[in-house]
Amino acid sequence: MKKLLALIIIAALMTVAIAACGDSGTEPSGGDTTPVTTPSGGGNDSTPANGGGTDPTPQQTDAFDADRIIGVYTREDGSGTRGAFVDITGVGDDMYVEAVVLTATAEIRTNVAENLYGIGYVSLGSLNDTVKALDIGGIKASTETVLDGTYPISRPFIIMTNDENDGDELVQDFINFALSATGQEMSSTSWISPIDGAPEYQASGLSGTLKIGGSTSVDPLMQLLAAEYKALNSDVNIEISGGGSGVGISEAIDGIVNIGMSSRELRDSEKPDLNEYVIALDGVAVIVNKDNPVDGMDMETVKNIFIGEMTKWSEIIG
Amino acid sequence: MDKQELDERRSAKLSSDKQKSDKPRLINKERIMRGVFFAAALASILAVALICIFLFAQGIPPLAEIGVFEFLSSDRWRPTASEPSFGILPMILGSIYVTGGAILLGVPIGILTAIFMAKMCPRQIYRFVKPAISLMAGIPSVIFGFFGMMVLVPAIFELFGKRFDMMSGNSMLAASILLGIMILPTVISIAETNIRAVPQELYEGAIALGAGHERAVFKVIVPAARSGVMAAIVLGIGRAIGETMAVRMVAGNQPVLRLPYEFFTGVRTLTSNIILEMGYVERGSLHFGALVATGVVLFVFILIINLLFSILNQDKEYNSVKKNKKGAKSQ
Repeated sequence: MKKLLALIIIAALMTVAIAACGDSGTEPSGGDTTPVTTPSGGGNDSTPANGGGTDPTPQQTDAFDADRIIGVYTREDGSGTRGAFVDITGVGDDMYVEAVVLTATAEIRTNVAENLYGIGYVSLGSLNDTVKALDIGGIKASTETVLDGTYPISRPFIIMTNDENDGDELVQDFINFALSATGQEMSSTSWISPIDGAPEYQASGLSGTLKIGGSTSVDPLMQLLAAEYKALNSDVNIEISGGGSGVGISEAIDGIVNIGMSSRELRDSEKPDLNEYVIALDGVAVIVNKDNPVDGMDMETVKNIFIGEMTKWSEIIG
Repeated sequence: MDKQELDERRSAKLSSDKQKSDKPRLINKERIMRGVFFAAALASILAVALICIFLFAQGIPPLAEIGVFEFLSSDRWRPTASEPSFGILPMILGSIYVTGGAILLGVPIGILTAIFMAKMCPRQIYRFVKPAISLMAGIPSVIFGFFGMMVLVPAIFELFGKRFDMMSGNSMLAASILLGIMILPTVISIAETNIRAVPQELYEGAIALGAGHERAVFKVIVPAARSGVMAAIVLGIGRAIGETMAVRMVAGNQPVLRLPYEFFTGVRTLTSNIILEMGYVERGSLHFGALVATGVVLFVFILIINLLFSILNQDKEYNSVKKNKKGAKSQ
């Protein structure tokens, strides 16, 4: 008898497991069956994705329940994207404590794509069409709007030197390289190049060691630049350290590094001591689920959502 | 140092080889191997000692700076705010809740499975169940986490999201279910071993007294294996409390004080607190120190659990040592 019972229990567990799998199999497809015309989607999202057409409860736009809680997703303390986002939007230290904390852009994207009521933010460069980017203050999140300065949630990637280092031949050569056509090609891989028609760069054949440090947000771009520069000038050694924008700025002022990196604009108090060069632009896109009827909001609303003042979609739609 | 020791032994062996016959040579070989084993044991102890030293050397100063009481009892964790505050009470409770949930779900299933496998399972089924559980033990936790993120979290949100005003499916419940599954292989294999270790005489005695198979198993065998089963549970707790990757992916990670019944809200555990913020933190800052101090607290947790485990296992270990000694003498 007990044997039978045990077998029945196992069978029940397996049924539950299979049922759970079924759930998950149909759920993501629900998002694809009813495309919403999004201004930012590039128009190629009007074709439903393959398979999984047997969804018992399709999540249509009119099924969007505005009384549901906004699912706020944020990055972890210390992340560059979070730093840019809270600085620019004015969220500051008051990030909503109930917000789900995730450590990677891809995780934010996946979760918002799965959660009809979710909202999050990612770097503009890592936007894709699994989610919808909101217009901020009526401005579409795109390369063009960041370039012409109208899209509000954007930031420059700055490298800077103090006057002493600025005169150095090697430092100048590296900066010339970063601002050249070759350097700017690197900038436009994941970010936005601010320079139109940059000059060509000629290898200088200089030698020496360059110390570069600061923003971890700029770091991925700097790694690309450094690798390419070393390929062109094999006698140059480049050491890159992290520490954040603040560290980069103060070390550049003190000359501890030859070149500092920052992912925020320099403050007026810092400007007199430094020569700054904008090597790329980075925008932060606010993303929601593709089936969310909201297409845009103003900066104040974004801030209110992320400090937890607004917790329901009805407060935004209604 | 160890190498020197080895060399000495080796030269001693060479000289003795010349003088003596086969028998002492074997003893010398044995001695060398004993040295090797000793060195191996020393290496692991050294590793533990180094980790302890690192943890306490780096963790105690920031703990003192923040204040032990403040650190353990404050529910505000704002490491990068302009007025930072470091309180890990939400994370301590988070770890306890999630582990508790995992035990609630995983232990009954695990123990019953172990009993089934040890005493009731037909051979044909055992041939499939045993490798399946071994395989489960080998699945990397990030795979569990991925499963949780793509299957469990959306399913929970779909089922309970509206009713309980959930912000997302990332919740205590998701983490508990996932951990409940993850501790199964640990609980099952240890409980099964211990149930099998109960002397057959007890079972036969029970049958002789007129008990049925099930009664003998549940009333005699399982109670006799009690300390082993408890050990399985304790190791399961250890596994659950130390799990990082999978929990981080499904728990929501909000550093907010929760009550035990709020299992539809997200929590942050001690482990995920460390891994979440380790990536960007500046070395040597107070924030970094606070993360190491979180590690110290976690370490103390694990220490307590291991102590519990060794207390539960004390009798058995002592007995087996005694047995071995007897065996050696008789040889």
